[in-house]
Parts: sequence; C-alpha cells; structure tokens
Amino acid sequence: MSAFVESIDRARQAAAPRANDVPPGPLAARLEAMRADCFAAFEAQGLPTRRDERWKGTNVSKIADLAFERVGASDDAGNAFANDPRVADFEPDLLFVDGRMVQASAGRADLPESIRILSLAEAAAEIPDVVAAELGAVADPKTDPFVALNGALFENAAVVVFAPKARPARPLRILSVASASNAASAHFSRLLFVAGASSQGLVAFESMSEGDGPGFTSLVSEFRLEADAKIASVELQTEAADRVHLSQTFAALESDASFASTVVSLSEGLVRSEISVTMQAEGGSTWMNGFFLGRGDAHHDHFTTVDHAAPRCTSDEEYRGVLADDSEGVFRGRVIVRPDAQKTDARQSNPNLLLSEGASIDTKPQLEIYADDVKASHGSTIGQLDDDALFFLRARGIDEEAARLLLTRAFAQKIVDGIFEPGIRALVSERVDDALARLEERST
Amino acid sequence: MSEAPLVSIQNLHANAGDTPILQGIDLELRAGEIHAIMGPNGSGKSTLSNVLVGKPGYEVTQGEIRFRGEDLSEMDPEIRARAGVFLAFQYPVESPGVANNYFLRTAVNAVREHRGEEELDAIDFLTLLKEKMKLVEMPEDMMSRAINEGFSGGEKKRNEILQMLLLEPSFCILDETDSGLDIDALRIVANGVNQMRSPDRAMLVITHYQRLLDYIVPDHVHVLSGGRIVKSGDKSLALELEEKGYGWIEGIKEEGATS
Repeated sequence: MSAFVESIDRARQAAAPRANDVPPGPLAARLEAMRADCFAAFEAQGLPTRRDERWKGTNVSKIADLAFERVGASDDAGNAFANDPRVADFEPDLLFVDGRMVQASAGRADLPESIRILSLAEAAAEIPDVVAAELGAVADPKTDPFVALNGALFENAAVVVFAPKARPARPLRILSVASASNAASAHFSRLLFVAGASSQGLVAFESMSEGDGPGFTSLVSEFRLEADAKIASVELQTEAADRVHLSQTFAALESDASFASTVVSLSEGLVRSEISVTMQAEGGSTWMNGFFLGRGDAHHDHFTTVDHAAPRCTSDEEYRGVLADDSEGVFRGRVIVRPDAQKTDARQSNPNLLLSEGASIDTKPQLEIYADDVKASHGSTIGQLDDDALFFLRARGIDEEAARLLLTRAFAQKIVDGIFEPGIRALVSERVDDALARLEERST
Repeated sequence: MSEAPLVSIQNLHANAGDTPILQGIDLELRAGEIHAIMGPNGSGKSTLSNVLVGKPGYEVTQGEIRFRGEDLSEMDPEIRARAGVFLAFQYPVESPGVANNYFLRTAVNAVREHRGEEELDAIDFLTLLKEKMKLVEMPEDMMSRAINEGFSGGEKKRNEILQMLLLEPSFCILDETDSGLDIDALRIVANGVNQMRSPDRAMLVITHYQRLLDYIVPDHVHVLSGGRIVKSGDKSLALELEEKGYGWIEGIKEEGATS
C-alpha cells in the first residue's frame, strides 16, 4: 500500500469524515451515502498509474509516496490567517484555510445581492433540492480516483448561487490557503456553483500556500450553468515548491450558456490542473485559456476536455506554456465531438516556450470527432524566444536578461488580456510579474 | 579639423555567417557630420550596419571600429546602445505583447542610467514621449499598442525615428530608412532625422536611392561596392550616381583594379 493511501486510511480511522454540519435528515443521509459511494469509487480505481490514459504525463509516484499526518485543517486553522496581509489584499468573499471554509469578513458586506454564498449546512436548510441534485452530479467520481477521494473527504463545501438574470457589479473572490506546517497534511475542498438562467458573473479563485512545507491540496469545483448563463472563471495557482496541488473543475452547460475559464498556473511544485466542460445542449460556447510557468523542478500537468455533446456549440482553447530550469510541462487537450454535435466549431492551440536545456514539454491534442459537419483546428508549437526580437531590445540598450524577461512576459500577455475585468486582470498581471521576477533572480 | 573622429573604421573585414562580405572599409565620421553610404544590392550596406551594432551572426575578421576611441567590437549590443550607438532598422521587428510605451521607458531609463542621469518616472516619461511623438506625427494610441504590431511600413519607420529621438544617441545609423515609404512618410521621417542634426552627433545614412538625400543633406557620400568603399565625394556624387546608375561604379572598380 502506498504511503498516500496508508495516510488516508489512518486519518479515516482516527476520525470519521465530518457530517458537514448538515442537520440529521434525508439530505444528511444522502450526503453520507454519497461519501461512502465516493470512497468505494476511490478504492475501486486505486491511485492512477502511467498506464492510465488520463495520467500518462505525470509520475504519480510523487503523489503515492507522499505521507501526511493529518487530513483537513487543524483546529486553529482559521486564526492563523486572520492577519495575513495577502489575505487582506485579496479581499476574499470566501476563504478556505487548509480545506476548511472560514467565513471571511472582508468583502462579505458588499457582496452583490444577486450572488449567494452558502455553507453546505446553510444550503441544506435553504436549497436542499439543489444540493441533492447537483453536488457530485457534474463531477462524476468514477472519472478519476482523486475526484472520488475529494467527494469522500472534503471537509465542507461552499455552494455559490447566481440568481437568474444576475448582473453582479463586481467579481466574486475566493481564496484557498494552505498553512505552513512542518508536518505534511492533505486538504480537500469543494465548490459548487449554480448559475441561474441568463445570469452573468465572474469568479476569481486563488490557491496559495503560506510556506514551503510539503502537503497535498485537492480542489474539486462543479459548475452548473443553466440556459443562457454566462460565467467566467479565473483561477490562479501559486502554491510553493514541495506541494502537490490538484485542481479539478467540471462544468455542465445548458442551451446557449457560455463558460470562459482562465487558468494561470505559477506553482513551483507539482500541479495537476484539470478542466472538463460538457456542452450538453445547443448553442453553448466554451473559452479555455491558460498560462503556465514552470521553474525549478516544477511539474505542470494541464489536462483539458471539451465535450461537444450537442449541435451548434463552439469552443476556443489556448494554453500557453513557459518552461524554465528543469521544469516539465504537460498539455492534453481532449476535444470530443459526439455524433449529434453537427455544426460544431472547435479550436485549440498550445504554443510553448522552452527557456532552458533542462526544461521539457509534452503536448498532445486529442480530437475525437464522431460528427461529420464540423470545423475543428488544433496546433501545438514548441519554440524559444525570437532571436531578432531579443536583439532588437538589446540594440535599444536593454540588457539581455531584462530583454528575455520582457519577451517572456509578452508571451503571457495574450492570456492576461483575455481577462475582461480590470481588477482581476491587474491581480493576475501582478502575480505573473512576481513569478517572472523570481525566475530572473534564480538565473542571476 | 583637429578633433579626433567620433567614429573611426579602419580596414574593416567582416563575415555574415561564414560568408566574407566587408573587404576592408576605411571611414571616419566626425561629430556634426552626416555621411551617406550608397551602393547596389549585395554591396555590404546592411552588413556594415549590423556589424556596427553587434548583431549576433556578424563577425569582424580584421580591422577595427573605434567609437570615441574605444574598440566597439568588444562591446555587447546593449552596451553600444547605452554608449550612444543607434541603428534605425531596415526591417523593424514586431513584438506582440510588448507594449510600446513600456518598452520605450525601459530603453530610455537603461540609457539614462548609463549616462548617470536619474530614471524618468511614468509621468515625466509620458511628457517627453508626447513631445517627441509630435515630431514624427504619431498618434498617441500607437503607444499603448504592442511594438510595431499591425503598424504600416511607414509607421514602423516612424517608430524607429521616435526611438532615436528619445534615446538621443551620438552615432545614428539609418539603414534604408526610406525603403517602402511614400513621399509624405519620407518627409516626416526626414524631419525627425533633421531634428537630430547637431554638432555633437554623427550620422551614417545608408540608402539605395538618392531621393532621401534631398531631405537629409549629407556632408559626404561614399559608394560601397563589393564590400569596399570605391568612391567618396560630396553630395553631388549622389546625384551623379543617380544619373549614371550603379553600372558606372562597376566601371570605376575595373579602372581601380587595372591601374
């Protein structure tokens, strides 16, 4: 048995999974059954190996070998971050510390009326039917052992509801922090978004860590977009080295709904970032943008799936990767066009920059097209910085290091510019600048 | 003039890649002078400009280039630029994602730091930028765009001259700045260049056609052929060349070879 699974078993024996503070009743019973089903699904699948098509790009033994002493947050988790300036700067509407949902005071007062944030207990009391119907319905535990494990072990879930026709005046900000600890711990957090018909909104999410300590973070997000809902999601991944960060996002789109996802991954550890969008009714559209920057020994595995399950849907995907030092990047872009999905328009591209001899990228589009009236394109490129552009900048007095930085930053700019909300765009821009500045420090 | 030349090129031989192109160039530019270099395609005009700014892939095999008495070929391109050497490129590059104004401020401050001047903050820089942009009749919105991205040929060349106006180099090299320009753009570019004429500054204007020299009037004209300067004169040489064509030069070269 791997160290990872042993740690999980030990933690489960020490304390039964929490009942999510949901009062006893049919919903609580259903949630307990869901957790049991999820754990059974995890045990049936076991940890993935490289033979698993979904996990070909990542050496899972780095996860399997990870031993941790605790699952979930310590009792004082919330207090540790009360005065952390990064938390205050982020102004979260919702704060998770070590997987535990901490009611953030900042920002809550001016939360737009059209958005509701509920703990699972609150949701169970107010919208039990939604919880029963949606939680675990978009993210199927049978697709992946870690999705199953998250369903079995998440400490508490947050449910975010956009009212029908919502036009919130500002984005929703969610922060997840892994606290510094000498002993490794594993955290499982869960988000469920339900966007009512014709609602619009932007969700910004950041996963950061307090220190360099080892640990494992699992985040599963489910998005249910009702007809004509238009939701944008911006996810920042900035955890430190030595950490394993799994982010798995699943979205299901009703007719004419659109989902625009931007993932900006600057983590220094092992990242597996998965986005899976299913357009299950006509007229859906999906944008998937991503920028990832690997440095040191970082490993970034970006696994994306767009499922065109209905006619007349469009998808447009661009992931840009920069790999420095000895980092490894993996990009998998699955596009499935089901037999009924005529008039599909699917585009995908994955340009990559390799900044050093030791860096690598493994990129593979996977188009599975079963309909015949389809427009689909894809392309991956791997290159270095443009020599002429580099020389041009030097010929204007900019030293070579700074010129390289400027061109690398420029490569990311298209993804940053795709974020339409200025405040979030500025936040992402700042994070990218910080990460590139650290890249420069290392090389000098 | 008793003063030492600003730029002194002696017996310069250089390769582009593995191909020998420059076959022994001697040229001196004093502060305040404008020199024009004319010559047919393949004569080595662009190699000369690339060698002067230290473009990778161009190698000096013999001879030397001195700028203010210092050996230029030992310096990295960015050091040359900060010391005051500037090339307005024949084919300016597009750099998607690098905003023009950010790039220009970075470059100006790199040069200012070298000169021991204070860095310009965003506001002071903007004031300077607006003033210089007027000289080359550039609309302000071009500054927030990426470097040369979607610019017309004329706009790219104007952007080169704008960079020259901002960096205030003491040795300006213009590599076929007139190519691809209509008459209005040519006038604007030439106005920008003439703003830079100064007793402290030397310019090397490389061109295929005499037309540019109606606007930027040179003190000396040199004809380059086969990697060597085969004839030098005053501005009337450019007119004579225009009239007689580059075939005339071939004749001069043969005379030189037989005599």
